[in-house]
Amino acid sequence: MAKWECLVCGYVYDPDEGDPDNGIEPGTAFEDLPDDWVCPECGAGKDMFEQMD
Amino acid sequence: MRVIIIGNGVAGVNVARAIADSGVADELIIYSCEKHNYYPRPRLIELLTGDLPPEAIAQYPDDWYQRRKIDVRLGCCVAAIDRDARRITLADGGHDTYDKLVLAIGAHSWVPPIAGAERQGVHTLRTVRDAETIGAQARKAENVVCIGGGLLGLDTSMALVRCGASPVILEALPWLMPRQLDREGAAVLQALIEARGAHVRVGVQVEEIIGDGRVRSVRLKSGEELPADLVVVSAGVRSNLLLAQQAGLSCNRGIIVNERMETDDPDIYAVGDCAEFKGMVWAIIPVALAQARVAAMQICGQGDGLYEGVVPSTTLKVTGIDLTSIGEVNPQEGMFVEKRYQNAAGSVYEKLVIRDRRIVGAILLGDRSDVRAVNQLISRGVDVAPYIDRLFTAGLSLADIVNAQ
Ligand SMILES: Cc1cc2nc3c(=O)[nH]c(=O)nc-3n(C[C@H](O)[C@H](O)[C@H](O)COP(=O)(O)OP(=O)(O)OC[C@H]3O[C@@H](n4cnc5c(N)ncnc54)[C@H](O)[C@@H]3O)c2cc1C
Ligand SMILES: [Zn+2]
Repeated sequence: MAKWECLVCGYVYDPDEGDPDNGIEPGTAFEDLPDDWVCPECGAGKDMFEQMD
Repeated sequence: MRVIIIGNGVAGVNVARAIADSGVADELIIYSCEKHNYYPRPRLIELLTGDLPPEAIAQYPDDWYQRRKIDVRLGCCVAAIDRDARRITLADGGHDTYDKLVLAIGAHSWVPPIAGAERQGVHTLRTVRDAETIGAQARKAENVVCIGGGLLGLDTSMALVRCGASPVILEALPWLMPRQLDREGAAVLQALIEARGAHVRVGVQVEEIIGDGRVRSVRLKSGEELPADLVVVSAGVRSNLLLAQQAGLSCNRGIIVNERMETDDPDIYAVGDCAEFKGMVWAIIPVALAQARVAAMQICGQGDGLYEGVVPSTTLKVTGIDLTSIGEVNPQEGMFVEKRYQNAAGSVYEKLVIRDRRIVGAILLGDRSDVRAVNQLISRGVDVAPYIDRLFTAGLSLADIVNAQ
């Protein structure tokens, strides 16, 4: 599964790790994150993320 | 080892998390003046507009600190540091001792010396209380003036539009976002901002904020007076230095640190908006994150991570305008090449600054499909000289250059 990077702060969402602090299980694809999920470092919305290669 | 972190912003929390995960600290304590669990400061914009309810500002659930055995003391300001005794004094008179101390005390909004700036109705945006106050007043205000046309000033102005205001943005320099844009790009941005309902005045200087108790108008150097019942000043930030200065640590614009994030006391580190590295205080999140990583690594004695500086990158978020600015965008000295692209509709503007065969700066406005590619070309130092004549032509995307490496 692809990693996604926050354009505002550079945080990388890694699906293998998920975001357990915010209730996101490891193994959750970026596309499957809830719409109101935000970057844990800067609070930017999902639309501010770009897929990494 | 007993580690004390002062400050619960993005810098302090990231140092704490990394140290907690490593398990090297027996005791890990965060002191914070603010009464809130960690929240990302950019979300204050959404708090101001009312899009984010106040109880949702905290990024993590309440037990986040506990689960990591981080002892967080909210609403607890540190008043002094005694380096000889490795002891801190709290504002309430209490004491605590440390083996390692991290200063992550951030910055405060700066207000230029304008006569009348102390009047009621003149605000800056940095904390939860600021956001709530400005939001409440904006919903009632007839005339709103925003002083400062930088990144934060524009984000704030667009939030004020969402509150129903039509703010007038005043910028002293000849164009908007002077640190991140050139004149051509700023003209494109200004049109986009005005289309959304704000007014922009560049090259104007504020002389005085007029009123009785409360602000009534803003007078410019030209003599012109703009009516105002709410003034929001976004003129940049200044590092919080007092604690470090009183402890005798070297400070300039920020607390001076080396590439290990050490101050001149090897048991005291500084990170984030309060830290100055090689003469620079960027006061942005990517820098705070990178510095927090290094400080934690050094304290844990795990790996020899050094801070090498990052190429500053800023992205406008709430405006619905795609704008990213990276590195050196207004080159002055030495040899450089600038490559520009603007679409026929005038809604997209892109520029690359190239020095010594490498991209050192970029403006990407109105289209963000190239943002990642440009970030990669810059961070990897890719030699773009072979492509220079074909940049921004059909048939060669910046991603193609990345992929060709
Ligand atoms: C509205 C807004 C929008 C922003 N947007 C962006 C953006 O889009 N991109 C970006 O990169 N950056 C943005 N920033 C800047 C970003 O928020 C800062 O760079 C970041 O918060 C710095 O983190 P920090 O932890 O160093 O400091 P801070 O967040 O300032 O935290 C410092 C903490 O230390 C506490 N403290 C200070 N002194 C003491 C003391 N003596 N005792 C105890 N506690 C103390 C303070 O109360 C505070 O909680 C924005 C800022 C604002 C206000
Ligand atoms: Zn982010």
